[in-house]
Amino acid sequence: MPSVILSAAKDLMAAGMRSFAALRTTGAVLCVLVGAFSPVRAETPDAALAELLAQARAKVPAACTQPNVDRLIKILCAKKIRVGIRDYYPLFAERKGDKREGYEVDVARAIGRMLGVDVDFVRVNAATRIPLLAEDRIDLAIATMGHNTQRDGQARFIRPHYYRSETTVVGPRELPVASMLDLPGRTVCVTVGNGSNAELVSQGARLMLFDEAGVLPDRLKDQTCTLAAQDDSFFAKYFTDEDFNARFFQKFGFSQVPWGMAVARQGSAELARALDLISQVFHRDGLFIDIGRLHSIRLGFLRQQQEIWRTPECNTDAGTTNPKCILPPLNTALQPTSFAPDVTSLENWVEERTGIDLTLPMLKTAPAWSLFKDGVFYSLVLIAGALAATLAFALVLGAAMGSRSFVLRWPARLLTMALQSSPIVLTLVIAATVAHGLFALSTETVLGAAIAALGLANGSNAGQAIGEAMWSLRAEGVRAGLFGRALSRAATQIVAFLINAAKGTPIASFIGAPELLSSLTDITSFSSGRVTTYSILLIFYTAVVLVVVWLCGKLKQALEHRQAAA
Amino acid sequence: MSGLMELLSGDFLPRFLAGMVVNFEIAAIALVIGLALGLLLAAGRLSGGVAAAITVSIIALMRAAPTFVIMFFLLNAIPRDATLFGVPFALSGVMTVAVSLVPYSAAYVADAGVDSIRHLRAGATHGALLFFPNLTRAFLVLVMSSSVGAAIGVTEGITVILRQADQLPSFDDRLVLFAIGIVLFGIPLQLGFVVMSLFQRRFGRSTVEEEASA
Repeated sequence: MPSVILSAAKDLMAAGMRSFAALRTTGAVLCVLVGAFSPVRAETPDAALAELLAQARAKVPAACTQPNVDRLIKILCAKKIRVGIRDYYPLFAERKGDKREGYEVDVARAIGRMLGVDVDFVRVNAATRIPLLAEDRIDLAIATMGHNTQRDGQARFIRPHYYRSETTVVGPRELPVASMLDLPGRTVCVTVGNGSNAELVSQGARLMLFDEAGVLPDRLKDQTCTLAAQDDSFFAKYFTDEDFNARFFQKFGFSQVPWGMAVARQGSAELARALDLISQVFHRDGLFIDIGRLHSIRLGFLRQQQEIWRTPECNTDAGTTNPKCILPPLNTALQPTSFAPDVTSLENWVEERTGIDLTLPMLKTAPAWSLFKDGVFYSLVLIAGALAATLAFALVLGAAMGSRSFVLRWPARLLTMALQSSPIVLTLVIAATVAHGLFALSTETVLGAAIAALGLANGSNAGQAIGEAMWSLRAEGVRAGLFGRALSRAATQIVAFLINAAKGTPIASFIGAPELLSSLTDITSFSSGRVTTYSILLIFYTAVVLVVVWLCGKLKQALEHRQAAA
Repeated sequence: MSGLMELLSGDFLPRFLAGMVVNFEIAAIALVIGLALGLLLAAGRLSGGVAAAITVSIIALMRAAPTFVIMFFLLNAIPRDATLFGVPFALSGVMTVAVSLVPYSAAYVADAGVDSIRHLRAGATHGALLFFPNLTRAFLVLVMSSSVGAAIGVTEGITVILRQADQLPSFDDRLVLFAIGIVLFGIPLQLGFVVMSLFQRRFGRSTVEEEASA
């Protein structure tokens, strides 16, 4: 089997080389023709490229010593192009000793051949690929970089894009999940900072956050994660593994991001134009597809692009600026809040005076601010609801457990025993399952389920204390005002379980209740400042519980005062 | 129901029991750390003066801090490559849950410890010994609370149940599985409470007698 694969790989490489040879020949012929009929304007991308390269080469070596020449001239002078590339991104760019391989590596080599120069690879990562361009330490970045509006201002992206990834949701083959509609109530493992997290949350999925994508396949295998969402280019390698492929399946994809090669924004106009044209020709002639096939990446996008770039409308020297031919960058720009500059000033002020790196992402962009406000509101609703439900269930179950009637007393006792035996997480999940079974999924349904679960779990315990107080009062011969006196006697336990209910409200985020923990988790999934964010969360909940403790203290005093008066 | 039976006849029970061992492990770690910290706080509270006032405030804050939020704070505030005196300090999932339960256990131990020391000073030895059933109660509460680990991927008992439930397409099957989970969690818990209340009743009676004779 390996020899068959090797043979197929060689065939593909040969096909790629043939495509490339044909391209070079075409380019050379066109170059001669363009030169002969100059200054007639080129109409095909091949001719435009040949003309551009011919003009650039004509300036070499005279322009090599001049300052501020375009990077294309510098590359031709140095006879090499410095390409920023990743060291470990399976199938796309991997380094094994001195050997590099992958889709992006071969794309870089093909570009080098088109320009007639050698390729010098420079290691980059997600954090360094744009700074190295700006510092003139690399000429071109081909490094799994999604083209979005935010990065558009930092580098000049080459159009058309050389690949497009999407977030794919992966899970066991037998799991009945086929679209976003199947996600409500399910937990999806994701990485912090993934731009598609917000979309998953908006569809009712619970997120389990991980720092590194590398752990997700293992967490799927050991069943820590039932579903995992990550870039399809990341999972591509794992699906080449027979065992992984037999167990798991890409359920569906969403949130597509075009990947762009990029050059520096300054001093690279001619280089960028040349690369635009090269990319256009590579798509039209199927070279990207050939290279992609060689490295077993998904070819759907590349095939779509080939169709587009073969159309007469796009196959022109102006195709790369035609909005009908090229893809727009992913719009990731977040609307800032009106007070964002003040927040930034505050952050700087705190850092200057204390050295503390304060980051307040929830106050700086409109979506984050909206999530934050909703989170605070729903947290307060949840706490108020949980307190009210605890009190209500305590009174009802207490009266039933203190009743002389067997029919009332035993069901209440059994329910209490079951609730005491169920960890709160399980009680919440049961409530959510029942709620989803009975009602359509909505914020109100989830909140209602969470309030009912917290109220039942704590109310049953408080109710037991009330019931026991009623029986003890009976034993003491008290007959009049029995229930009222029992409330006074059980005041300490009632208050303790009310406080417990308030403390338990953040756990409701586990079933998707949109309270502050959920909101801040969503905010940190697309912004920085995790330490500050979770510190604020801790302070908020501790402060709220302290207020509840104070209020409950007043309630306890009132109940005990009543008992003393009685 | 056949889907449920298939799952249950497989390796569900061994995996669930292994998960419950993790619940007990988390509770034990939280209790041991809480015991050390709680006894220090109890001593501080009984020392009087400013130290006592500060200790009371610390205990109040620890009592008010929700475990679930502390767990997420620890998970997000401590970098994966954090070191303490040059030693890697990143917490595992189990340790993250255990440490997040420490404020509760320490505050509980501090309260129970103060009561015990007061009993001892009053000469009520049996009353002081009520500290141990109280510890058992705290341990059982910690076992139940350790299920919050399900939210961060710790493979404890509830996580095993929820993973199993994900494989069940039928609503009824899921509810039956949850009921089985409650029974399996309930058995050790209710047994623990029975043993504890017997112990407490015995020492409670002795304490009343001791205090009466004193």
